[in-house]
Amino acid sequence: MAIDIQPLHGEFAGEVSGIDLTRPLSREDVVAIDAGMDRYAVLVFHDQHFDDATQLAFSRNFGELEISSGGEMSKPEERRLAIELADISNLDRDNRLRAVDDKRRLNALGNRLWHSDASFRAVPAKYSLLSARVVPQAGGNTEFADMRAAYDVLDDATKAEIEDLVTEHSSAFSREQIGFPPVDFGNDNQDKLRPVRHRLVRTHPVTGRKSLYLSAHIGTIVGWPVPEARAFIRDLTEHATQPRFVHAHRWRQWDLVIWDNRTTMHRARRYDDLHDIRDLRRTTIRGDGLTVAQAA
Amino acid sequence: MSISIRPLHPSFVGEVTGVDLTRPLSREQVAAIESGMDQHAVLVFHDQPITDEQQCDFSRNFGELEVTLAGQMAKPEDRRFGDRLELGDISNLDAQNRLRAREDHRRMYALANQLWHSDASFRAIGAGYTLLHARIVPSRGGNTEFADMRAAYDALDDATKAEIDDLVTEHSIRFSREQLGFQVDSPGNEDKLRPVRHRLVLTHPVTGRKSLYLSSHIGGIVGWPVPEARAFIRDLAEHATQRQFVYAHEWRVNDLVMWDNRQVMHRARRFNDLQEVRDLRRTSIKGVGLTVEETAAAA
Repeated sequence: MAIDIQPLHGEFAGEVSGIDLTRPLSREDVVAIDAGMDRYAVLVFHDQHFDDATQLAFSRNFGELEISSGGEMSKPEERRLAIELADISNLDRDNRLRAVDDKRRLNALGNRLWHSDASFRAVPAKYSLLSARVVPQAGGNTEFADMRAAYDVLDDATKAEIEDLVTEHSSAFSREQIGFPPVDFGNDNQDKLRPVRHRLVRTHPVTGRKSLYLSAHIGTIVGWPVPEARAFIRDLTEHATQPRFVHAHRWRQWDLVIWDNRTTMHRARRYDDLHDIRDLRRTTIRGDGLTVAQAA
Repeated sequence: MSISIRPLHPSFVGEVTGVDLTRPLSREQVAAIESGMDQHAVLVFHDQPITDEQQCDFSRNFGELEVTLAGQMAKPEDRRFGDRLELGDISNLDAQNRLRAREDHRRMYALANQLWHSDASFRAIGAGYTLLHARIVPSRGGNTEFADMRAAYDALDDATKAEIDDLVTEHSIRFSREQLGFQVDSPGNEDKLRPVRHRLVLTHPVTGRKSLYLSSHIGGIVGWPVPEARAFIRDLAEHATQRQFVYAHEWRVNDLVMWDNRQVMHRARRFNDLQEVRDLRRTSIKGVGLTVEETAAAA
């Protein structure tokens, strides 16, 4: 059965039907999904009854899996899931709700800022794939913003100003914004907090479209005073996340959503996480290479 | 000639005509402006060629003038207006009237005015009215935007209203600067940097209308973990500054704009400040009805 894609927000975000992702995919299916990703940047699949093994197997169709930074930075005995699966839940290892002042809960609040996954890595993420196993009764949406459309409508002066700008990203910067000090979760993680550099304007390798590579992980622009860089990045982010560029995904159990981190930002929305469970599991595909040469 | 006010936005902001601010005002004129402020929260006056002295005189009609924190923290030789601490220097000029350089410390400090805020909310008694007068304006950019915190409050759903009704926030000038990666250090002024508390929901002392008392100076909510408080305050500020609640003022020379910090937030917008002059002068009136105790009594 051929897959069908219905656009959800103009040329941004598509809803896919006609495929069971938990079974092995044909080469044609993978090509069709990749083409859908190039066009829509976000794809939504309903009723995909993944377990961890089938999610991992499906994800590998799109490239090499990345180890999640949350996993890397935690001790093995604290992990609820295999290290290739990012634990996007409010549960601890024993499947209990995390308490109000739990460090991992506070760290995860950084996901409520607009960001692009793993932009704090020199080789950042390509796709993220998020599978909904348990969803809360209300709230907890994920919102996506189209960085291609946001780039397209910038005026020519701004496009010229930003064309060659290089930004510095670290997960310490996004956490700093909400007053969460960069903590060492028990391992030696200082190297993972060191800022990496990326171009502010990226060109998609397949479509050739330009997009803004923005993220809450940005702490400055190379060559700019920090406060000026941050004020400017905030302005660009505000521009890029206007409602007309945003699609809000309301989760249903067994939804799978794939997005391209090279061309979108996303954020989680608030829900009653002290009382209600939200258990989402993420796999991440490594990107193709550096966006800019890194400082020595 | 009598004062007349024309609305510039569906929920707030009025344009005032029929008054000359270079002359002393009558009691009736002051009352008309105050009642305009209660209703519109922001008033715009065009073509008012007032001097510093006249701006201070006009401002005193509405209460006691505040001295500015930046003035208090600056060395006397760095102040462009000398001992006149009640005149806030909202410009990109140094004491010798030269454009400030890119890395200038005062320029970095002032960049936080591009974040949505309510003036002096970092004081136990924040500002009531602020009055800003335009002497020199850049050829483009540098707007001031205002957001209506009454309309933003009204548009919240009932669950959120109930959740925030009794929340108390902590404000410091340090928090707004920290957001831009700028550390405020002012030896001898530690008392002015210490966080102060305010209710998140204010009730206007005259109209009785509720509004959100938000500001980039907020660093926490009493009783909440800091990251949760900041994420929530960001969500509220995003709600409160949606386009339908915002008016953008495009400055002309000799505009005077006054606003009520208890009812609106505002922010400056970017301009080419390394090449062009923008010289605005600010006076502020000490607020009433702003402290946790006063607002608790009013509720």
